[in-house]
Amino acid sequence: MNPMPLETAAVPRLVRLRAMGRLGLRMMFHDRLKFIGTISGVVFAVLLAVQQLSILFALLNRNTQFVDNAGADIFIVPPNTRLLQPGEKLHESVLYQARSTAGVLEAQPLVFAAATLAKPDGGSESVTLIGFESTSRLGAPWNIVGGDPRNLEQPDTIFLEDSQREKYGAVNVGSTRELNNHRIRVGGFTWGLVPFGPPYSFADIDLAREVTQVAVDRMNFVLVRVQPGMRLEDVRDAIAPRVPEALVLTRDEYHSSIVTTLLKEQLGMSFGISTSFGLIIGLVIVSLSMFSSVLDNLREFGTLKALGCTNGDLSILLLVQSILYALFGSVVGLGWVTNVVEGIRNPLLVPIIPHYVIYAAPVVMVVLCLFASTLALMRIRRLEPGMVFR
Amino acid sequence: MTEVAQLAIDARSVTKVFGEGALAFKALRGVDFQVEKGELVMLAGPSGSGKTTLLSILGCVLSATEGQVNIDGTDITGLPDTTLASIRRARIGFIFQGHNLIASLPARDNVALVLELRGVKRASALAAADEMLARVGLGDKLKSPPADLSGGQRQRVAIARALAGDPPLVLADEPTAALDAQSGLVVTELLREVAKERGGTVVVVTHDNRIFHLADRIVHIEDGLMKTEDGSHA
Repeated sequence: MNPMPLETAAVPRLVRLRAMGRLGLRMMFHDRLKFIGTISGVVFAVLLAVQQLSILFALLNRNTQFVDNAGADIFIVPPNTRLLQPGEKLHESVLYQARSTAGVLEAQPLVFAAATLAKPDGGSESVTLIGFESTSRLGAPWNIVGGDPRNLEQPDTIFLEDSQREKYGAVNVGSTRELNNHRIRVGGFTWGLVPFGPPYSFADIDLAREVTQVAVDRMNFVLVRVQPGMRLEDVRDAIAPRVPEALVLTRDEYHSSIVTTLLKEQLGMSFGISTSFGLIIGLVIVSLSMFSSVLDNLREFGTLKALGCTNGDLSILLLVQSILYALFGSVVGLGWVTNVVEGIRNPLLVPIIPHYVIYAAPVVMVVLCLFASTLALMRIRRLEPGMVFR
Repeated sequence: MTEVAQLAIDARSVTKVFGEGALAFKALRGVDFQVEKGELVMLAGPSGSGKTTLLSILGCVLSATEGQVNIDGTDITGLPDTTLASIRRARIGFIFQGHNLIASLPARDNVALVLELRGVKRASALAAADEMLARVGLGDKLKSPPADLSGGQRQRVAIARALAGDPPLVLADEPTAALDAQSGLVVTELLREVAKERGGTVVVVTHDNRIFHLADRIVHIEDGLMKTEDGSHA
């Protein structure tokens, strides 16, 4: 007999780690009920957290979509502007200063004002009227589902939000209504352009000025396109000193300003709490399932310790299980949540799951499952190998 | 570590106290126990006599309160847990009362696992496991999970696991307790046969007198003390 010396027993650790990993996998699938229970915890955590985030992103997008889709690289806005709201109006000199700045390809005025649409039955609905220079594309409607955008070059023509057609009194292309007591004709429809305030409607800037009583030398914003090859920040910095009465922001800066403001003041807390609850529920379920699984198999873990497994070896076993639970659960959860958000998709709420959330979810779940396994690990660490002889 | 090569087990003045103060209970009271290499010794005694406590100390899963224990030439007294785990892994095969097989693993993986824990690569471990299971008469049950095996077959798998890799010492705790008389005898005969052909030292804790004739030596323990041949406490 040639007993294995102690010194070499510690060397092939990789073989032991593989054995532990394989054993973790086998134990995981052996108790199918526990497996399903634990996976369900991860699935629900992913489902709740990602679904809440998708709604949060949807709500943020409702308020940033104009900035993102207006076609402008730079926005000149009234001072202290943080959100996209009608505020103090800018003088037309701001527009001319922008146009005469080096690096500016195009600068156009924008009127952004509240208006009231009268319905045939006598009621009325509020709209946010966006008046843009119809010969340009800066500030023009997007997501068009009816009508031709060139219709807006026609006198007294506006685009309305498709999802509000019934509210507006069953309007169609060609329907006429009164907007702030001004007769207008519906030239087309957009889909899903509904911020927290009244839905967007679009008109030529002259019509918008007339309807909302904005003087010809005034505007709410100036939208700027930068010449190809120019750095946005350079052009922004060039415009800013020329318009000290206004704030000059790149598209990304304006977008971030809106997002930050909404998160700080309104959405962050409520969605942060609901997303956290999703994760906490998952953490508790996974933690209890893994702990319960260890309790159910305490004798097996004791046997493994008696056979020479160290706490480190058994940690590997739990580590493998945690990672696999996280990955399986994330795949199922993400598959499920994409169907769920598709089911709740409507013009007022278009849930968004950014790619980085899809990549981040399994990572977060791995961290969560590893954290959840600490309870089980603590129990295993306290386990005396001598229990197998009792 | 002190090398004492002649004996597989050399335990001297071993005392084990559980609890403290008024609740202290002395399970072993200065026990001396030596086993030569290749011997099959049975530790007998009534319940609560201290035989399983002694086996636990010899198996490096419990520390003695006092005394010195050498296993296969290594003084295990006061060694850290990781070293004790390493000794268990490399030098001791265990057979438990309730077989203690891993339910999620088929028979061959239960046996191969102990070899993999010792660093034997999987393919070699599986080949050795298959050979060992064939030796204990389970060559046709390699892929059977424990749940599909009878009590006797499970204990044979446990014997194969304990003897796989030829550990110098095999410790068995009541290996026949969960078996009927015939199966108990067959399993113990098999343990003796395989251990002898491989030159292993075996200590069996039992109070099953039907298997005593298979021992090279029987050591009685009572109230935490070894009993001499004439029945007095040593």
